Amino acid sequence: MTRHAFISMETVFLKSFQYIRPESLEEAGRFLAGDAPVKLLGGGNTLLLRIQSGEEEPAILLDVKHLPGFKDVRYHHNQGLKLGAAVNLQHLVMGLEIRRHYALLHQTAQKLASPQVRNRATIGGTLAWASPVSELAAPMLCYDAVCHVWSSRGLREIPLSEFYLGDFQTALAGDEIITHVHLPAFPNRTYGVYRRQTVRHDGRRMIAAAAVLAYRRQQALTHWRIAVLGVDDRPKRIPEAEAALEGAPTEEEVDRALHIVQEQIHPVDADYARADYRRASLNVLLRQAILDVIQQLQSMRS
Amino acid sequence: MKHDITFTINGESVHLTVLSHQTLLEVIRNDLGLTGPKYGCSTGECGACSVLLDGEVVNSCLVLAPEADGAEIMTVEGLSEDDELHPLQKSFIDHHGVQCGYCAPGMLISAKALLSRTSRPHEEEIREALVGNLCRCGAYADIIKSIQVASRARR
Ligand SMILES: Cc1cc2nc3c(=O)[nH]c(=O)nc-3n(C[C@H](O)[C@H](O)[C@H](O)COP(=O)(O)OP(=O)(O)OC[C@H]3O[C@@H](n4cnc5c(N)ncnc54)[C@H](O)[C@@H]3O)c2cc1C
Ligand code: FES
Ligand code: FES
Repeated sequence: MTRHAFISMETVFLKSFQYIRPESLEEAGRFLAGDAPVKLLGGGNTLLLRIQSGEEEPAILLDVKHLPGFKDVRYHHNQGLKLGAAVNLQHLVMGLEIRRHYALLHQTAQKLASPQVRNRATIGGTLAWASPVSELAAPMLCYDAVCHVWSSRGLREIPLSEFYLGDFQTALAGDEIITHVHLPAFPNRTYGVYRRQTVRHDGRRMIAAAAVLAYRRQQALTHWRIAVLGVDDRPKRIPEAEAALEGAPTEEEVDRALHIVQEQIHPVDADYARADYRRASLNVLLRQAILDVIQQLQSMRS
Repeated sequence: MKHDITFTINGESVHLTVLSHQTLLEVIRNDLGLTGPKYGCSTGECGACSVLLDGEVVNSCLVLAPEADGAEIMTVEGLSEDDELHPLQKSFIDHHGVQCGYCAPGMLISAKALLSRTSRPHEEEIREALVGNLCRCGAYADIIKSIQVASRARR
């Protein structure tokens, strides 16, 4: 069977599985505890492709999009933002509370994939798909996001900075379900910039990307966040470089931060970009992003 | 595993029995005979299979048929009213937005989703709205023009 022939009346491309829409976490937990191989279904943008290619052969797909509370979005100026695991990425583009208070999330989501993909892709499925070039990870890391996870053993919280273990692995156990993500509140004076270099306009074939965030509480020191993509086995923050920028960084301090980042990344060759090219690209993107944020901080002061 | 599902498509309610692993695209084309949405890639890349699912544009090749239970769906066939073409369709004809036409059903659906949010989109907004729709003929310039003209004609 060739997959690119015209579809015929009998053609079915996905291997057979059972689609189940559990109504509670407990019901989902019973399937996860069973013997049959189970996968959680979010928007399916990654999972269905993996089933098509045979990389994944689940007997059961549990659609977690309709679990109670999974589509909730709540913002509170002290408590921050709670995003249910089944909230779609298009909400990060359109949602008023996101545009106002988590602009870096909005900025990044706007560039991610296409309206078709964003309308389906979920926060939970996107974070659980731990690709080193998963763009959502960059702003989420900068905002100190914490994954809230359920299993039949109870609830636990995993800071996103400890969530990615490298090579597509996460800290999630096989029977754990992300229920929501929590982002703390940030001061009004928070500025972020996301910059990326990709081969394709829709974001695929990423060479490198950087997200930079800076915020200030009551005129005190400016705190910095740096997250990088495409240059290591996982999306990651570079805390030592953030520390080098603390305050209002001089040119030398920016250089120093960039130097630290270069020491802490391990890019690999891709068929569309060599490792040293990714390294050099990241340096340019990150410098631009830092300078953009400095400019925003300065224009705010005047 | 079989599922009895009901959804509305282009304003008509349908009741169907589908399998767990059938995609919405397969059901729309094969069971319902609506061949507007095309099978281009099956991987979410091309947007030829685009439909509106509860008013939002999605790739129907990456939606499972049972997920559509209770939904409201629109395909390109649902754009015209009483045999009168939609202004977008007329504009695609008048301004050569259709070359071979394979991408057109998806382009029209993306354009429809855009115009229901933004009545007078800028060129940049149109381009962003079409990021998920590929045209192998490269008719992008005329497609964008068709959408621009259609949006100006609407009040
Ligand atoms: C055409 C196309 C273009 C793309 N372009 C980009 C791009 O530009 N930038 C980018 O970063 N990404 C891009 N992607 C990747 C895309 O962002 C991801 O495929 C998508 O966000 C995954 O989310 P989902 O809800 O569809 O996950 P699914 O495919 O449903 O699931 C992914 C994984 O997460 C697990 N999972 C789902 N929900 C949960 C949960 N609640 N708890 C625990 N585990 C869960 C699933 O079992 C599965 O293993 C693109 C994908 C496609 C198809
Ligand atoms: S066939 Fe669905 S995106 Fe190409
Ligand atoms: S007109 Fe031929 S694919 Fe677009």
